[in-house]
Amino acid sequence: MKALLWVPFIVVPAFIQSNFILSIFIFSFILAIAAVSFNLIFGFTGQLSMFHSAAFGIAAYVTSLTASIFHVSFWLALFPAIGLTVFISLVIGSICFNFQLRAFYFAVITLAFSELARLVILNWNNITNGTLGLMVLDKPFVWIPGAGLMKIDGMFGWYFFSLAALIFTVAVCSLVLRSWIGRCFAAIRLNEDLAQTLGIDTFRYKLLSFTLANTLAAISGSLYAFYTGYIEPNYLSINQSLDIISMVLLGGRSSIVGPIAGAFMLTGLPHMIELSAEARAILYGGVLIATILILPQGLIGTLASWRRAA
Amino acid sequence: MLQLLVGQTLNGVIVGTLYGIIALGVTLTFGITGIVNFALGEFMMIGAYVTWYLFDVVGLPFPVAIWPAIAAAAACGFAADQLLFRFTRNNLINGLLVSIGLISIIEAAALLLWTTTPKDMGYVLSGAVRLGEVSIPKMKLVVFALLAAVMFLTYAALSRTWIGKAAYAFSQNPEAAMLMGVRTDILQSTVVVYSTALAGFGGALYATLYSLEPSMGGLYILKGVEAAILGGIGSLIGSLAGGIILGVTEAVGSIYLPGAFRDAYGLIFVVAILLYRPSGLFGAER
Repeated sequence: MKALLWVPFIVVPAFIQSNFILSIFIFSFILAIAAVSFNLIFGFTGQLSMFHSAAFGIAAYVTSLTASIFHVSFWLALFPAIGLTVFISLVIGSICFNFQLRAFYFAVITLAFSELARLVILNWNNITNGTLGLMVLDKPFVWIPGAGLMKIDGMFGWYFFSLAALIFTVAVCSLVLRSWIGRCFAAIRLNEDLAQTLGIDTFRYKLLSFTLANTLAAISGSLYAFYTGYIEPNYLSINQSLDIISMVLLGGRSSIVGPIAGAFMLTGLPHMIELSAEARAILYGGVLIATILILPQGLIGTLASWRRAA
Repeated sequence: MLQLLVGQTLNGVIVGTLYGIIALGVTLTFGITGIVNFALGEFMMIGAYVTWYLFDVVGLPFPVAIWPAIAAAAACGFAADQLLFRFTRNNLINGLLVSIGLISIIEAAALLLWTTTPKDMGYVLSGAVRLGEVSIPKMKLVVFALLAAVMFLTYAALSRTWIGKAAYAFSQNPEAAMLMGVRTDILQSTVVVYSTALAGFGGALYATLYSLEPSMGGLYILKGVEAAILGGIGSLIGSLAGGIILGVTEAVGSIYLPGAFRDAYGLIFVVAILLYRPSGLFGAER
C-alpha cells in the first residue's frame, strides 16, 4: 500500500518543467536520504550522533576525489567512499559503545570526531584545496534497459536518479526496522539497561545502527557532491548536522515519512521565499526550537496522533 | 627552545582560563538544570561585542564598559531561560537541541549586526612584563588574574553562602531540597543567568586580547565543554584545571606538531581521558 505513495513523485516531472522546482525536488530527495538515515540512529535507536554530517562530507570528498584522480566512474568511486565510511563508523562506534558513552557524552565525542574529520579535510590543502573546495566535473552513468548506458545529466536524469536512491534508502530502512533488528533498536531506545538484561547485545545493535546510518549518509553525500558539482569543507560542519537534525525533528522522529516531509519543507520553503543566508539560519534555528517546544512529535507525528484520536 | 616552550605554556594557561570560565558555566548549568547550554559561547560573543562597541565606538573606559557587557549577556540569558530553557529542564537532548538552535539564531543576528569583518579592539593596557627570557603582555596577566579570581569567588560563594548550600542540596537530591524550602525555579533560573553572565565576562576580557568574529562562540563552547568533561562535570575547580590543561595541551602541542591541527590535540586528549576516566580528572568516581 505504502509503495503507492511514491506514484505522485514519479509523475511530477510530466507536469512540472520548471528547472527551479525540479531542482528543489532533487535537493529534497538527496537531503531526505541523509535525514531518513539520521533518523535510524537518532529516532529509532535513540542515540544523538553528531557524526552524520561528517559521514556525508567524507563520502562526498572521497567519491569525487577518487573519480577525478583515478578517472573512474561514479559507481567505482562509491566503493572506497562507502568502505571508508563503514571502517570509520566501526572504529568510532566501537570506541563510543565499548566505553558505554551515552546521551550527552556520545553526542560530544561524535562531535569531536566530526570536527577532527573537518580539520583534516580543511588542512589537507594539496588534495582537498582547503576552504575553497573543489569542482566535481564528472557525472554518473547508469544502464537503462533498452536505452543502454546513459549519462545522468540535466534535471530529468537527476530527478529520477535521486528519487531511486531515496526509494532504495527507504526500502533498506523499512526492511531493517520491520525485522528483529528494528525491534532491538526500539528496545535500546526505550531502555538500554533493560534491553541488555533481556539478552540483546546492545553493543552490536548500536554499532549496526550507527554504521548503517552513516553508510546511507555517505550515499547521500556522494550524490550531493555529483549533483551540485562542488565540494567544500562546510559539508562536514555542525550547521550541516543541524540542518539534518531540524529536518528530522520538524517531520517527526517516530516514522520514516517524517524526515522526508521535513527535508521537503526545510529545502523547499527557503527557496520559495527569497532569503539571505543569515535569515535562513535564523529560520532553521527558530524552526528547530519551535518544533522541540511546541510539536515534540514533529508534524507527521502530530498528524498521526490526531488521526488516531479522531 | 625552552623559551618558546615556557612562553607557549603561559599562553596556554591564559587561554585555558577563558575555556575554564565557559566550562564553569557548563558545569553549573548541568548540575542544576540537567541540560548543557551549548549557546554559552554565543553569550560570550555578545559580551565581547558589547565591550568592543562601548570601548572603541562610544569611548567608555574599559572598567566601565565591562559592566554593560555582562549585563547584556545576562539579560539575553534571562530571556533565553524564560522563553526556552525553562521548558527543557532535565531533558538533556531537548536542551542540547534548543541551545543549538539558539546558536544559529544568535550567530546569524550577529552577522547581520556586525558582518564577518573581524573587529579589533584598541589596547586597553599596553606593555609587557619580562620574566627572564619570556615576555608576556600585561593585559594577558590581568585577564588571567581576573578570570581566576572570579572562578575562586564563585567557588567560595558556593561553599560558604546559603544559596551555594541550596545549589549543592538541589544537585544531590532535587525533591529533598524542594521539601527543605529551596525555591527550585528561582535557583535554576539564577544559575542559568549567572552562567551566561560569566560567559559575558569572559567575552569582555576576550575582546581585549583577540579580534572578534561572529563565529567565535562556536569554537569556545566546544572548548568549554571539553574542559568541563576533562575536569569532571560537577567539579568547579575541575573546570578551571580542565581549561588550563586543555589550553596548555593545545599551545604546547602546536610547537611540536602542525599548528593547523591545534584544535585536534585537545580533542584527542579529552577522548582519551573520557574513555579511561569517564568522570573526568577531578570528578567523583561513578
